[in-house]
Amino acid sequence: MNWNRRMQRRTVLRAGGVALALPFLEAMRPVLGRAQQAAPVRRMLNICGTLGFHTPSWRPATAGNAYAPSEYLQILDKHRSRYTVISGLSHEDQQGRQPHNSEITWLSGARRPGMDGFTNTISIDQVAANHLGYVTRFPSLSLGSLKAQSQSYLSSGVMVPAETSPSSLFRSLFLQGSPQEVAQEMRRLTEGKSILDHLRRQRGALLKNLGGEDRYRLHKYFESVRGAERELSEMQAWVNRPKPVVGPEQPADIASAGDLIGRIRLFFNLIPLIFATDSSRVINVMMQDHSTVLDVPGTTNDQHSLSHHGLEAGKIDQLRLVETAICVAFGELLDSLHAGVEGSGSLLDSTSVLLGSNLGNANAHIAYDLPILVAGGGFAHGSHVDVGGGGNQPLSNLFVTLLQSMSVDTESFGQSTGALSWG
Amino acid sequence: MLRKLPHQTRGSHRFPPVGILICALLFPLSLFPLLLFPTTVASAREGAREGALADETLNMPRRGWNLRGQAPQSIGPPLRRMTQREYAYALRDLLQIDEDAAILISESLPPEADAGGFDTMADSQGVSALHIRSYLEAANRALDTALVLGTRPESLERKIDYSQGLMTYFALSETFGLGVVKMLDDAAVQFDGAVCTYTMDSERNYVPILQEGRYKVTLDGYRHQADSLVVMTLFKGKTQGIVASLDELIGSWDLIDDETRVVSTEVFLQPGDLVAPCVAEADVPADDPFYRYFEANMLAKNYTGEGVAFRSMVIEGPLTDQWPSASVRGLLPGIELDDTGALLLSKTPEEHLLEIVADFAPRAFGHPVSERSIAKLTQLGLTALDEGQPFVEAVRTPLLAILTSPNFLYQIDQRAIPKDYDFAKRLAAFLWRSPPDRELLDLASQGLLQDSYHLGVQVDRMLDDPKSTRFVEDFSGQAWRLDEFRATSPSQTLFPSYNAQLGQSMEAETNLFLAALIADDLGADQLIDSDFTFVNRPLAQLYGIPEVSGQEMRRIALPPDSPRGGLITQASILKITANGTSTSPIPRGNFILEHLLGTPMPPPPAGVPGLEPDTRGSSTIREQLDLHRTNPTCNACHRSIDPPGFALESFDAVGAFRNEYRNRRLVDPSGTTPTGRSFAGIHEYKQILLEENLDQVARHLFQQMLIFATGAETESHDRDEIDVMLDRLGIDGYGIRSMIHEIVASSLFQKTSGLEAREDPPSDPARQPLGRRER
Repeated sequence: MNWNRRMQRRTVLRAGGVALALPFLEAMRPVLGRAQQAAPVRRMLNICGTLGFHTPSWRPATAGNAYAPSEYLQILDKHRSRYTVISGLSHEDQQGRQPHNSEITWLSGARRPGMDGFTNTISIDQVAANHLGYVTRFPSLSLGSLKAQSQSYLSSGVMVPAETSPSSLFRSLFLQGSPQEVAQEMRRLTEGKSILDHLRRQRGALLKNLGGEDRYRLHKYFESVRGAERELSEMQAWVNRPKPVVGPEQPADIASAGDLIGRIRLFFNLIPLIFATDSSRVINVMMQDHSTVLDVPGTTNDQHSLSHHGLEAGKIDQLRLVETAICVAFGELLDSLHAGVEGSGSLLDSTSVLLGSNLGNANAHIAYDLPILVAGGGFAHGSHVDVGGGGNQPLSNLFVTLLQSMSVDTESFGQSTGALSWG
Repeated sequence: MLRKLPHQTRGSHRFPPVGILICALLFPLSLFPLLLFPTTVASAREGAREGALADETLNMPRRGWNLRGQAPQSIGPPLRRMTQREYAYALRDLLQIDEDAAILISESLPPEADAGGFDTMADSQGVSALHIRSYLEAANRALDTALVLGTRPESLERKIDYSQGLMTYFALSETFGLGVVKMLDDAAVQFDGAVCTYTMDSERNYVPILQEGRYKVTLDGYRHQADSLVVMTLFKGKTQGIVASLDELIGSWDLIDDETRVVSTEVFLQPGDLVAPCVAEADVPADDPFYRYFEANMLAKNYTGEGVAFRSMVIEGPLTDQWPSASVRGLLPGIELDDTGALLLSKTPEEHLLEIVADFAPRAFGHPVSERSIAKLTQLGLTALDEGQPFVEAVRTPLLAILTSPNFLYQIDQRAIPKDYDFAKRLAAFLWRSPPDRELLDLASQGLLQDSYHLGVQVDRMLDDPKSTRFVEDFSGQAWRLDEFRATSPSQTLFPSYNAQLGQSMEAETNLFLAALIADDLGADQLIDSDFTFVNRPLAQLYGIPEVSGQEMRRIALPPDSPRGGLITQASILKITANGTSTSPIPRGNFILEHLLGTPMPPPPAGVPGLEPDTRGSSTIREQLDLHRTNPTCNACHRSIDPPGFALESFDAVGAFRNEYRNRRLVDPSGTTPTGRSFAGIHEYKQILLEENLDQVARHLFQQMLIFATGAETESHDRDEIDVMLDRLGIDGYGIRSMIHEIVASSLFQKTSGLEAREDPPSDPARQPLGRRER
């Protein structure tokens, strides 16, 4: 890849079907030293449909390169050479307190989600974000279609709340505040640092009187204070850098909870812009249960009830309408990522895209043999890989592979027994 | 009106119809204690895996080992973090800001993890750099809300006259908005709730909300073309795209005759919010369905069904009862505002800073603060002054530091401070979810708080204070999973009579019921059955109780033959344990086992394929489960799960009583308990629970309250003390208020002082307190 060619000032990239202008070199590559070594930029996008994908419509009948596309894959088939469908993966011990708790651990692989004493472990996106740090304005972004619930978890088991408003997301990424607002933000960050410095100095006095676990808990607080101080410094470095200017206008949020498809589409439109402007390299999207009848023509039940179709053909037909609409939107996202030029390749080439679900069969809340699709990311594609093993091969092995493709130096993640390779 | 605190992390809350719960293996019985008494120490699990005896594992305390490895002793509640809700209430009380504003601010904090218990449990509470950054941001927002200076905001009274076409654009032409609104001389008529999302809200009628604050909204309307009751409602929402979201129901009023009603309510609004009047419960003629009027050329003026004629909506605000605001007065003692709303300092800025910090820090921390600490905090403000910041900016810095301090966010017992203060803080957190007030602090300063007489008086005072509602809602929200109430919306096709008012009434019933048990010291048996409950007209209608009018919840006596009474047949619980469409005995049976009796069943074992739920009608779920229980391994759990579930089959997915299903098949609510007692339905089942399980119900409720209060699981070595307390409580029928008195007076709620009891567990290298680093 040629750095100069890639970074021409006012390069116009096509992304999301819209032209966008990138006026500032700094906005694209903040750490010139690193960038000049021409390490290829690696990105990660994880998308979860938490109510599953109806297996007969998702899963191709045969494995290998010559598989006949299933109903849903037919929608994506023009990108066939750019993705791999993997069957047979799951995490072990996903029967949680609630039957949908496996959505908590989809990207972490922690066991027994929600059961007494459960603490989640770090999710794959946060490993990647920690590895990259503040090389971009946002080390990671977590997006939710309805509510702040996300699948991003820190190593402390803390959930990173999801952004649900495409309009707010756009503002924080692309809208430059007034000079006063920027100055105010800078002052708040400086003030924050001095406050945290003050708090940190109390560590000794407060810990002195504590023993056992109490001491440990307060120690974690002070460790978090130190971590926050570092993050504020990193954020300060970004405050004065202008935000990239993009062609599309700030989108208006969608009020209707029934418009799942419209809501994810707004996010899907922004993702290529986020990547093309290098505003973040790690994004999670969680398509949640909207608990209401969706605005998908032909449906009269909410998606969750439809996923519990009880084998009734009428409900399955409606469910397929919803999932088809999701796949169409995903196909458009692949179109945009593929069309987005980066260096000698496309945005899709540098982005590993994971689409799947934490449920293999939502009708029975079964959390194994999950629907999994990996696109882009420079992997060998074009086949349906069936890893066999009764649907219980470690999904974490794929995560190791995805992390390694992000240049994370790791041999293990979650429940992994190694890295998954195919092709 | 009870306001629901959204609780976003509490995860997903759907229950399986049958599915994976069909089990083929039984967990080894020896592991059951682990499930019931989860020692949350990782090493305890590892120990179990290494073959240690379960008993030994249980005796491994989370804390309490002394240096000589002597038998563990109870050393009281662990250090725990303020929860998201407690943070909201603390902001509300300390800064005197609007409770709704405080709740909105608290929602920017990372959500509490759903670890299967209470969010107060120290072992489940995470803390991260993200928390610290969020605390800073949240405190900044809170101070933005509290420290509003300048001149008194002008309170405007703005009126939307719905009869005036100029204000209501849909009246410009009768076909505008597809002609869904009917214009009268003095009003505009709305026939269908969907219409209110794009016609009558404040934003769309040129009354935008520009300032944050509390507003009074007055509606004036009457029913139209109606010969039965119609409801006038008011929602708060936002404009998004072409429609208004209706996020929160803020008022509802029954219109029972043709008289005009003028009603009003107060609501907290932020810029961008709107209020929208809506119609509900309007009857639709079978031969003239309203949905046809959404089509072109169909005009609502020709519609024959019921509606509400809205004459006007008046929005008055922001309401300011005093200026400078109570927040400014409270935070900046000794400082006045001049005519322009600028600060008038009467001393040097340094002196003012010191005074402000010295006043706020002890209130926020809940204990006296040393002069040295005050000086250090003040220095933060002085530095800001030196850097040229105006006083009003400089004063924020120490206040932010206080609101981010571990002394505010944690319940730390500090040697330097009398432990009465820690106790006051714990007590206030338990019953008010907030820092202690001046009276508690005064008693603590006199060392009187743990005196049994004074403590009893204080607990009664706290329970009688409206702030105890927070305890009620937080406890019911988590112990009975009422927080999940809004996770599913009942299908409008199947349950057209379900609406926001009814849902809010259901939640209110459970909270009012618990509040009544506490107020009157009623016994734990009331959870199984009671001769009273709380209803309003919509809920009474669902329950088939006649002659209740109006939307106000009130206590009523239940007829002896009513299936209601007690917690388990309240519509809220029946709705939570259904999926919005259909019901299954399994989640309801599990609810009774887990939340009433405290004997949850383990999840079905891993790797065992579940039966595919099949609702095509060849067999009922009851037949499937009957077949299923013939498998002895499945039967081991399902003999306990299924019977209570069967008893509750008499209630549909929104909690209405039913004798038959939609397909006309008769409901069979009979069953046989694992102890061999047969019952014909819910009445007899409740009777069996009262006879056989009262002690168990009381024990579980007591333990749940104890865990909620202390933030720790009960340990095996706590059992003796718990038994003694339960014996005492049992004499008078396990009064719920008495339970609270017992808990706060127990050694489990007290922190024993001294480091010697709190050293690290000796054989537990994984829990070395320091030096362990985050990955």
